[in-house]
Amino acid sequence: MDKEKQEKKSFHVMINAIKKSNMTAMAVVLVVMIIIASIVSPYFLNVYNLQSVLRDLAFIGMIGIAQSLLLLVGELDLSVGKIACLSGILSGMLMVHAGINPWLALAIGLLLGLLFGFINGIIITRLRLNSMVATIGMQGIYGGINLVITKGKAITGVPEQIQFLGKKSLGPIPIPFIICLIVLVVILFIVKKTKTGRYIYAIGNSKEAAKILGIKVDKIRVMIYSIVGFISALAGILYVCRLGSAQTAIGEAWPMNSIAASVIGGIALTGGVGNPAGALIGAAVITIIQNIIVLFGVNSYWQAAVSGIVVVLAISFSSISAIVREDRQKRIKLN
Amino acid sequence: MKILEAKNITKMFPGVKALDSVDVAFEPGEIHAIIGENGAGKSTLIKCLTGVYEPEEGEVLIGGKHAEKNKTLFDKVAYVPQEIDLFANMSVAENLFIPYEKSGIKGQVNFKEIEKKAIPILKKFSIPVKPNDLVKDISVSSQQLLQIARATVHEEYDVLMLDEPTTSLTTSDTEILFDIVKKIKRENKSIIFISHKLEEIFALADVITVFRNGKKVAYSEIKDVDEGWVIKQMTGRDLDQNERFFSKKISDEVLMEVKNITGEKFSNVSFKLRKGEILGFSGLVGAGRSELMQAIFGYLPVYSGSIKIDGKDWKLGDTNYSVNNGVIYLPEERKKQGILPVLSIKENISISVLDKLKSGINLSNKKEEELAKKVIDIYAVKTPDSRKEIQFLSGGNQQKVIIGRAMACNPKLLIFDEPTKGIDVGTKTEIYRLMKKLAEEEKIGIIMISSELQEIKKCSNRVITMYEGKISGEFNNETEQEEILSAMIGVKSKEKGA
Repeated sequence: MDKEKQEKKSFHVMINAIKKSNMTAMAVVLVVMIIIASIVSPYFLNVYNLQSVLRDLAFIGMIGIAQSLLLLVGELDLSVGKIACLSGILSGMLMVHAGINPWLALAIGLLLGLLFGFINGIIITRLRLNSMVATIGMQGIYGGINLVITKGKAITGVPEQIQFLGKKSLGPIPIPFIICLIVLVVILFIVKKTKTGRYIYAIGNSKEAAKILGIKVDKIRVMIYSIVGFISALAGILYVCRLGSAQTAIGEAWPMNSIAASVIGGIALTGGVGNPAGALIGAAVITIIQNIIVLFGVNSYWQAAVSGIVVVLAISFSSISAIVREDRQKRIKLN
Repeated sequence: MKILEAKNITKMFPGVKALDSVDVAFEPGEIHAIIGENGAGKSTLIKCLTGVYEPEEGEVLIGGKHAEKNKTLFDKVAYVPQEIDLFANMSVAENLFIPYEKSGIKGQVNFKEIEKKAIPILKKFSIPVKPNDLVKDISVSSQQLLQIARATVHEEYDVLMLDEPTTSLTTSDTEILFDIVKKIKRENKSIIFISHKLEEIFALADVITVFRNGKKVAYSEIKDVDEGWVIKQMTGRDLDQNERFFSKKISDEVLMEVKNITGEKFSNVSFKLRKGEILGFSGLVGAGRSELMQAIFGYLPVYSGSIKIDGKDWKLGDTNYSVNNGVIYLPEERKKQGILPVLSIKENISISVLDKLKSGINLSNKKEEELAKKVIDIYAVKTPDSRKEIQFLSGGNQQKVIIGRAMACNPKLLIFDEPTKGIDVGTKTEIYRLMKKLAEEEKIGIIMISSELQEIKKCSNRVITMYEGKISGEFNNETEQEEILSAMIGVKSKEKGA
């Protein structure tokens, strides 16, 4: 009897949590998606398939987690894909053409990413630019440099000794996904447990109020852009390791996917609301959709459209449930 | 005949009865004042009367018909919100007539024509702007009047509801507004006037309804009652209207010395503030008081001049330095610059002192909760839970949280910018008492900016008036209001030095 009560109570707690946060709701949606996918397609739960899903997820996840930091302060960065690509290419060139120790080249690549993000941040805060417009411009610059230095050709021959970072697994789990989880833990610690994290939410609530509270608003914004640049470079270089070559097409879909992942995961575009872990859940939703589409053998011309429809549905999920709830209340009242 | 009537309405929110079996009726040709403390149910009533909320019980009748069943009836109630709610980048004329369908403009919009149509309306409301001016370029007073004008453009209205229409008006504009309201009353419209300012209610209203804790507690013709009666009905207790709150323990030590500072909206300002003193800054809206204080605090730039605090040169233009060294500014725009709306009360309090709330490198949830509990107790914040988002508190309670947060930083100078804006009489008194206590017991120097002369006189030890960016007078707190007022509007009088 008591146990039953407790179960009922915990069920209610769960329902309330779902109502409150889009992230928990999406986690439930994600589980449902996985169940449906595994029932409908016998290949979904196949180890190889799951590994490839996790490997894809790692990249959208990392960029999504980074993007969510900016969304928390009410800004965004559309140059993440090009920063990833440029850092990957520069790092690859150092390894292949300059013959530098691949680990050193990787470290330099990461620092370059940090620098690119820092430049974004300085330009946006000092010149008081809108982040979206400024990073549209910046991604043009970074993308342009990519083409100039590579003339559009891939850089092949990335040393074997570092390719494992993108290709291999630790036990059954792909290494990029493990790195993605490490990124999540570090970011979650910063956001939820430190002073800086709280300031990020404060800035997202109101930049003016934050400044009046004595928070160094611009310094924190620059710091976030730098972190975003760093994580983008990390994802870019890992992708180079995965492919075994550095290509200018790396990261093309990442800006949009990272924003969609964050929003699906309950992070508000207006700032101040959400949890970076939501971005990983959102990224999982997007990745699994893409995987299911392939498993179902959807015509390849239709894939983009179908994936778009599901993303829009996922984003609408919480507002639709709110509308339904209001409607039901109204009907109860009228009767 | 009753034009708008609420019959026995009850509105519930989770855990509270916001309105409890309320009956209230409004008649044409009458100005009906509604008053009550924050959280008394005024806003909920407005929302029920304008169709935003549906009450759980009871009904709203408009012209004797059930409004619930015919939502278009709510068009007859023209509502003017407290906050300015205009399209800043559109012209005055466009703002007047949008949505065009309701103002009788069909098909294509001819801008020349609507600008012509706007002229008599602007004249009627004495708004000194051109129809093609952009709203963002006209003064705040004009915006407020324009907002009221807009509500009356929609021809079919019978009831005009004004929610604290004078908060951003200067004294002379308030008089203009009152003349207009009386004119509208003579057109046999019903006017609902919501205000915290008792003098205004007594100057304007015919009848008054008082709310307390979601209930209608009193109704009377205005000529039969006085201010004391209203306050007693509102708060449920007697308040001494003549109580004064200036500090009685001013130290001889000078806390701050401002020398010839000049910024964008003020020039050549010098004054001194002593420890434990409450210094009032008075002036018209736009006189440069807020800008001056924000510059002293480091939020706005200072072009020249210097400031000494505790005898030491003060670093300008750095809010982080100011807060860390005990100078705190409590902004007038509480919603935009004061609170962090979607964070909890707890997080709003702890944000300034996170360094003190650590255990190891982690923030300690326990220490944070203890601090929040302390602030909620000391400053009597009315809330069931410190985890509630601060945006759901009433203005007065938000202000108390902000004061508590400021006090957690051990300040030596507090700058209050319109500390009682949008706050009811009872809570106002609580805030005055708090300021007095902080000055006397903690030896804090307090600067208080206020547009309400009465409030300034009640609380300050000295009053400095500003006019067009310059100090226009300095007075002690026994000076007659008229004398201070003439310095506020730039009329030279016997000044004691500037």
